[in-house]
Amino acid sequence: MTPVRSDETAAIELSGLTKRFGDTLALDRVDLVVRPGVVFGFLGRNGAGKTTALRILSGLARPTAGTAHILGHDVERATDAVRARIGFLPDVPGFYPWMTAREYMEFAGRLFGLDQATLDARATALLQMAGLSLVTTRVGGFSRGMKQRLGIAQALINAPSLLMLDEPTSALDPIGRREVLEMVASLRGRTTVFFSTHILADVERVCDAVAILERGRVVASAAIGELTARASANRLVVEVEGDAGAVAVTAALTRCAWLKSIETDERTLRLTVSDLPTAQREIPAAIAAAGAALRRFEIAETSLEDVFVELVGGPAQ
Amino acid sequence: MTGFGAFLRKELTEIRRTWRIWVIPGMLVFFGVTSPIIAALTPALVRSMATSQPGLVIQIPPPTARDAYVQFIKSLDQLVLIAIIITGASLVSGERSSGTAILALTKPLSRAAFVVTKILSQVLLIVAATALGTAVCLAVTAVVFDGAGGARLLTAVAFWLLYAVLLIVVMTLFSAAFRSRGAAAGAGLGFYFVTLLVSAWGPAARYSFLGLVLATQKALVMESLSLGWPIATAVVAIGAGAVAAVRVFERQEL
Repeated sequence: MTPVRSDETAAIELSGLTKRFGDTLALDRVDLVVRPGVVFGFLGRNGAGKTTALRILSGLARPTAGTAHILGHDVERATDAVRARIGFLPDVPGFYPWMTAREYMEFAGRLFGLDQATLDARATALLQMAGLSLVTTRVGGFSRGMKQRLGIAQALINAPSLLMLDEPTSALDPIGRREVLEMVASLRGRTTVFFSTHILADVERVCDAVAILERGRVVASAAIGELTARASANRLVVEVEGDAGAVAVTAALTRCAWLKSIETDERTLRLTVSDLPTAQREIPAAIAAAGAALRRFEIAETSLEDVFVELVGGPAQ
Repeated sequence: MTGFGAFLRKELTEIRRTWRIWVIPGMLVFFGVTSPIIAALTPALVRSMATSQPGLVIQIPPPTARDAYVQFIKSLDQLVLIAIIITGASLVSGERSSGTAILALTKPLSRAAFVVTKILSQVLLIVAATALGTAVCLAVTAVVFDGAGGARLLTAVAFWLLYAVLLIVVMTLFSAAFRSRGAAAGAGLGFYFVTLLVSAWGPAARYSFLGLVLATQKALVMESLSLGWPIATAVVAIGAGAVAAVRVFERQEL
């Protein structure tokens, strides 16, 4: 991942961030840097610690150890001026049920001290973006998707420098999800977007960079292309002639020290290796020794899902 | 206290637009209307009960405006204070459990402003409702009786209001400290009954805010009361309670 330049301040910087709830270690010495202007995906399974990290970043919780900085300021000492530059959407946004969407936007804008003209203009534009401009019912009667869209709209009322979203698309239908992702992508370059999710497709669609969190630890953090390229560097696809050949080659390869895993799909073998050059040299020889004929031998294209599964060891959505 | 004005505006609108406008103001107006009527009808009711018991003779002096005021103050001392406890239990904990506090407090709204606004809006509601209920009580009493002694009622209501404000602050503290509304309400009821019991002890009533508990009734019958200590300690307790509520809420993780 491209490091933060010396002349720019990281949008988010976590250093040794640790959070403990009794005996449970929710975050374990997390180090992370998010460059300004990027769309950053914070990926992990449910319970990996994403929401805890976001709660600390938004000032709702305190770290047990380590530090968290947003826009160059320690979150524990963040002033109102810093908070005025941040937009936040929790995983389940809570609204006053007696308000309308418009009233909530006005309430949020007033907390940011916006003047009436700015507030009116932004509320109108954002409600339109959220598809709520014509909705006059009270928020108490909203569906979860409508609340989520209002949540995103209110998080943008102050035109934030940093937008933090916790699972923003989880309650949305496919169309709503696409609209939110398009909106997030449109902010690239102007606003840093840091959003947590367990939906890999969303991350692949809009994110420039990603961090994968597993059991409170960051197991990978890089630009998406870099991450998948790194993973591709140890994945190979081998296709041989005949079922018997595939069985014989599989048996031969399992004895190789550099083999990490092998998946067999009829005559196609998908290998994860620890030493690619050695594997590239030895695989054709192993196939020949097993008496099988080689049809295909290539470095595999790796998706983010492959990377996720490899690092986390379990499926995501 | 950043965000104070915007959040106070929200609180006052919420009072106006939800059940909060009906409960305590409704109770106070109801008691304002019914207290003089009950006071006027009580002798007749008691006499009618006595006629069903042969040989029983009950002497009841004719009802006066003071009886109406005593009835009104009794209602304030009991039912309205309990209503303040029940409604106050959700002041902070309700916003915390519904998630509304999270969205508001991640904006430029300080936790101190959040708590102080809760106290202030509730105090404004109680003061306005009490003024309305008292005015109704005075008006109905003037119609039913001669209406004399209104000044004493106003004094008694002023003492009650000071105690009610203290109770609001205490409930805000409990509501900030306890995660559940039930626990906050339970603690509030405990506080209410303990202060009621301890106020019967002379020194406690003389030198602490507990003196206000009995002062409301006394104000209706006594020419002058010496309430310097109870008033001063109540003001101090209100300030200390508010500071404690802010500190407790500031330490909490949401």
